[in-house]
Amino acid sequence: MAAPRIATAALLAPGLVVLGAFFVFPIISLLWQSLTANGGAFVNYGRFLSQPVYFQVLQRTIIMSAATAGICLLLGYPVAYRLAHAGPRGRAILLAFILIPFWTNLLVRAYGWLVLLNPRGIINRYLLDLGIVQEPLALVHNSTGALIGMVQIMLPYMILPLAATMARVDPALVRAGRSLGASPLAVFTSVYFPLTRPGVMAGLVLVFTISLGFFVIPAILGGTRDIFLAQLIEFNISQALNWGFAGALSVLLVVTTMLLFWIGDRWFGLRAVWGVR
Amino acid sequence: MSPSNWTRRRFLTAGGSAALALSAPSLRAQGKGRVVFGSWGGTWEAAMRKAWFDPFTAKTGIEVVTATGNTYGKIQSMVETGRPEWDVVEVQPDFQWIGTEKGLLEKIDFSVVDKKPIMPGKDMITDYSVPQVLFSRVMFYNTKAYPQAPQNWADVWDLQRFPGKRTFFSRSHGGVLEAALMADGVPGDKLYPLDVDRALRKLTQIKSQIIWYDGLAQAEQYMTDGQAQLGLVADGRVLAAISNKAPVAIQNNQSLVTWSTMVVLKGAQNRDAAMKLLAYALSVEGQTAIAMAYTYGPVVPAALKAVPEDRARTLSGGPQQQGKYVLLDAAWWGKNTEMATEKLNAWRLA
Repeated sequence: MAAPRIATAALLAPGLVVLGAFFVFPIISLLWQSLTANGGAFVNYGRFLSQPVYFQVLQRTIIMSAATAGICLLLGYPVAYRLAHAGPRGRAILLAFILIPFWTNLLVRAYGWLVLLNPRGIINRYLLDLGIVQEPLALVHNSTGALIGMVQIMLPYMILPLAATMARVDPALVRAGRSLGASPLAVFTSVYFPLTRPGVMAGLVLVFTISLGFFVIPAILGGTRDIFLAQLIEFNISQALNWGFAGALSVLLVVTTMLLFWIGDRWFGLRAVWGVR
Repeated sequence: MSPSNWTRRRFLTAGGSAALALSAPSLRAQGKGRVVFGSWGGTWEAAMRKAWFDPFTAKTGIEVVTATGNTYGKIQSMVETGRPEWDVVEVQPDFQWIGTEKGLLEKIDFSVVDKKPIMPGKDMITDYSVPQVLFSRVMFYNTKAYPQAPQNWADVWDLQRFPGKRTFFSRSHGGVLEAALMADGVPGDKLYPLDVDRALRKLTQIKSQIIWYDGLAQAEQYMTDGQAQLGLVADGRVLAAISNKAPVAIQNNQSLVTWSTMVVLKGAQNRDAAMKLLAYALSVEGQTAIAMAYTYGPVVPAALKAVPEDRARTLSGGPQQQGKYVLLDAAWWGKNTEMATEKLNAWRLA
């Protein structure tokens, strides 16, 4: 009995050490700083409560991240379906289209969007020339621009888990539904989609959580109102040297995220993501 | 001797010499010849290498090693370990106060660094810092968009005569508040202490026409593709846009001049060599060389006289700006960046 247990511990140890040193320790130290540094807990958390700007930024961060996750799901679901049910060649081509932008530098992509989306950019020029719009569309320097940039960056995080789930769906179930007389829509809503729900949830959780930490994309593509919490944390860490307040903001973001996940788990069966029933 | 034993011994010997080889540079660093310089990197670092580091090494035998990522947060965490990896760091002048208050800086040895040739200016020299180069932000405008050039910030706020997007640096200390106050009629020498609320009220008048830039490359992009017709941008970037045939021009009136600062980190391992490097960078020779290598202006007036007239006119704080610029109050910003940022963010979301 003892030997396998020791072997398990030995196998886990390197991972645990790395997690402890580079994840758990910094988080605890940040929490500690938010309670003790730069005036202590009352000053740091009190500032969040007394200045409405911080709650507004937190709210905006969450809404924009949720919107990113939702749009990624709508755009990513059909792509993931094609990917999961494509032949080897089709899959290779689709993967290349999904992954090449994914490997491209974030700033390069943000600047690329600036060039495409601006009022004199290619997209607006075509729309104007074709007479589809009379005035250039405001596609950038506002929340639309920030969302476009975020969605493009996050799409692979939605598509890949979705495709992995879809590939595991037994095609016989879909055929069975059809042969029993269900319409394609009915088969989708009552057979296929429910079976892909773990992938949907995993994609939503992944995209939402990663989006919460964005700061470069909204700063470049967003407008006057597009401030994300990570921008304020970055400012307090690297410019103002107010690590106590940066810690408080980080703790609030983590707590809010956990709260949202708890709600998701309680009412929307988020648990399926981790494979627990 | 068994083969396995032999291998082990050889392994140990090899390991030992490898360890020696690894530790050798750090031993040398503590001995004489090395300074580690935390810089902003890029073409600016290349210019410093050419104008300062290589000639300095040729003269003194002291090697200059550079590292990038010079954020205040990194400096703080580095000094807190007790043995910072960097010796000299170039920073914004607000760090003269932030860094001193947090005890992150070493006093400058003014018996090594000669401060007499340095230009006069409020807070340019402190016990813990010396200026490096002048850096200015200027008004630019699109020459195709308007028949007449805007003359001052009040013109930039005039949406009837000068329609179009305006671009400003998204951070509070990027000059947008100063520009707003000057547009509201505050004279350049009466700006400080900044009335942030008044500046934001004035900024509201053009709020819908502002696009923000988060980095200078972005500002250059806006000038080049015409996304912004007016704005406040680092002079070097406007010059770069002009040389790339962008239809923009500089208005030097009411430009904002600040400077970059060099500090030595507390506990620096090569403190004495660092002081010598600062002395060289601030010599007339060093300041002339940097003025020829980059468009930041020298902080030593004698160096400005030593560069050719047409070159001098492209430099921050050069003759084209004399009598027209406002020197930013670094001490005010050192104390108030957080407050001003909080207010600017609240205004942006309002």
